Amino acid sequence: MEDESLNPLRRMSSRTRKVAPKMVAALTSSDNRTQAVLARLEALENDNAGTEVGDLIDDDDASLDDEDDDGYMHKKQSKSTKRKTRQAKALENARKAPRTFIELLHEANLESLPPHIPSYSRAAVGPPSSTSRRHFCTVCGFTATYTCVRCGMRFCCRRCQNIHNDTRCLKFVA
Amino acid sequence: MPLHPTFPLPDESISAFAGAMCSVVVLDNGGGLIKAGHGGDLDPTAVLPNCLLRPLSSKKFLHPDPLHSSSAAALDLTSAAVRRPIDRGYLINADLQRDIWAHLFANHLRVSTSSSSLLLTEPPFTLPSIQRATDELVFEDFNFKSLYVADSAALVHLYEASTSPQGLVSKAQCSLVVDCGFSFTHAVPVFQNFTLNYGVKRIDLGGKALTNYLKELVSYRSISVMDESFLMDDVKEKLCFVSLDVDRDLQLARKPGWDNLFRCTYVLPDGVSHTKGFVKDPEAARRYLKSTDESHLIGGTIIDVEKPESAEDRKRIDLTKNEFDLTNERFLVPEMIFQPADLGMNQAGLAECIVRAINSCHPHLHPVLYESIILTGGSTLFPQFAERLERELRPLVPDYYQVKITTQQDPILGVWRGGSLLASSPDFEAMCVTKAEYEEMGSARCRRRFLR
Repeated sequence: MEDESLNPLRRMSSRTRKVAPKMVAALTSSDNRTQAVLARLEALENDNAGTEVGDLIDDDDASLDDEDDDGYMHKKQSKSTKRKTRQAKALENARKAPRTFIELLHEANLESLPPHIPSYSRAAVGPPSSTSRRHFCTVCGFTATYTCVRCGMRFCCRRCQNIHNDTRCLKFVA
Repeated sequence: MPLHPTFPLPDESISAFAGAMCSVVVLDNGGGLIKAGHGGDLDPTAVLPNCLLRPLSSKKFLHPDPLHSSSAAALDLTSAAVRRPIDRGYLINADLQRDIWAHLFANHLRVSTSSSSLLLTEPPFTLPSIQRATDELVFEDFNFKSLYVADSAALVHLYEASTSPQGLVSKAQCSLVVDCGFSFTHAVPVFQNFTLNYGVKRIDLGGKALTNYLKELVSYRSISVMDESFLMDDVKEKLCFVSLDVDRDLQLARKPGWDNLFRCTYVLPDGVSHTKGFVKDPEAARRYLKSTDESHLIGGTIIDVEKPESAEDRKRIDLTKNEFDLTNERFLVPEMIFQPADLGMNQAGLAECIVRAINSCHPHLHPVLYESIILTGGSTLFPQFAERLERELRPLVPDYYQVKITTQQDPILGVWRGGSLLASSPDFEAMCVTKAEYEEMGSARCRRRFLR
């Protein structure tokens, strides 16, 4: 709209204006898609991590019980101080918790090195020379010719499309 | 700068030195497997997963048993939770690693750490903070007498040079080591037992990512196995292979029934009669190898292999629902190493990775490097890996250079064997950093000695 007011002589097709908000939506959704791709690549490095949280809680409970016992054994006063240390301990645990490699990498600040020094980030092989990419059907694994208009995943035929729509369309968002 | 040893050593001298010297612990601390043993030995004493496990039957995290031991078969690893000290190839959880090492040194190697030296492998470009943590672990927690940190590629080069003293690798003292392991894949030029660090190229894909990818595919298509890392590792090792012609094999994989050379059934453990999964028909699983020489297969002439009584087989599938079929997954999974772009990764494939690593070296080295490519690491064990690599590499290399790809006898143990060789060399002690030096100079200064 601003453009029009600045330059009234320029002819604008009504269609472009109609399309623009859709394009904006498409752009953001493609951003979502790249994020989904990145998240998926990230997930390829995961272990069976979901259960670990439960384990930590278990450990905490066990240690808390011990502390409570200690508290009863000693004076009543000490119990309040124990409570504080419990919190402090949780904080300390959070600090001591192993950091991921990515965090350590950020911390090391490799970008500050002069460009002639080889480093972890410079050793990455870099983008492929040809940009062509083969697409495989997410349902059956064969060469996929179609893209889902909603989520961008690939499928190869009508049958796979139905399975895709029923079971996994937009599932990567959740 | 330390003297670097003049290799190759003849075999007799190795055993002689091994007896005379005080013990050196050689530790190839991989992201997937720890390979540990005494310097001078031919094979490591213990090969075990570098992790702690919690099977469903247990409330605590347990130490895994070494591979191929009798007790390893007994433990049911179904849906076991895993904690690994190594993330993306680098040691990030020193506390966990301390647990695992303590168990390893006490129960498997039975060494007293304070009276032995340690040869430890470390991936290229380890961050200084990680190096510091490792040094602390070695000297302050375990009180090792001395430490040598080795580059795994250099050790592989050393081992290959010593096994064939007349070969090009040992004569030219230069090779390109392709290490395709659990966490990532490296192409590393080695010159005179030193890695040329400006030539190192890395693809962020290794065995772990491949297993997880297979998990994802199988979970989407047949049965949810998202928690079964160890099971899927086994499936990957037994059934996956590298396709020599993906387009053709994809077409072949479409065929129904017995015509489909790639279809293969894997039986999941039922927890009662067998705690390990297995391939239902190992003979059928190997049929794809026949397809490779026959290029006329698409025409419709299939080699006659006698069909088993399929009716009974199918009945069994229906009755017990605990098995799944693999077809094109078998070659699409290892395919990712050759074309990571298919996964949506913005990284070049293995062949291009090798070319880039070599191109960043001095042009005089190019012909020798192309002729002495050494494959190592567990992920190179996929059948037809070397053939496929050669087929992809050849068009990328100028035709006046020869391409020769050497596979190792045992790609998983290759690094360790090189380390054992180095540990038994006469001037190994001189190359080490001792505990006293570490206490006086600190981590960073000591590291300079390893040229890292």
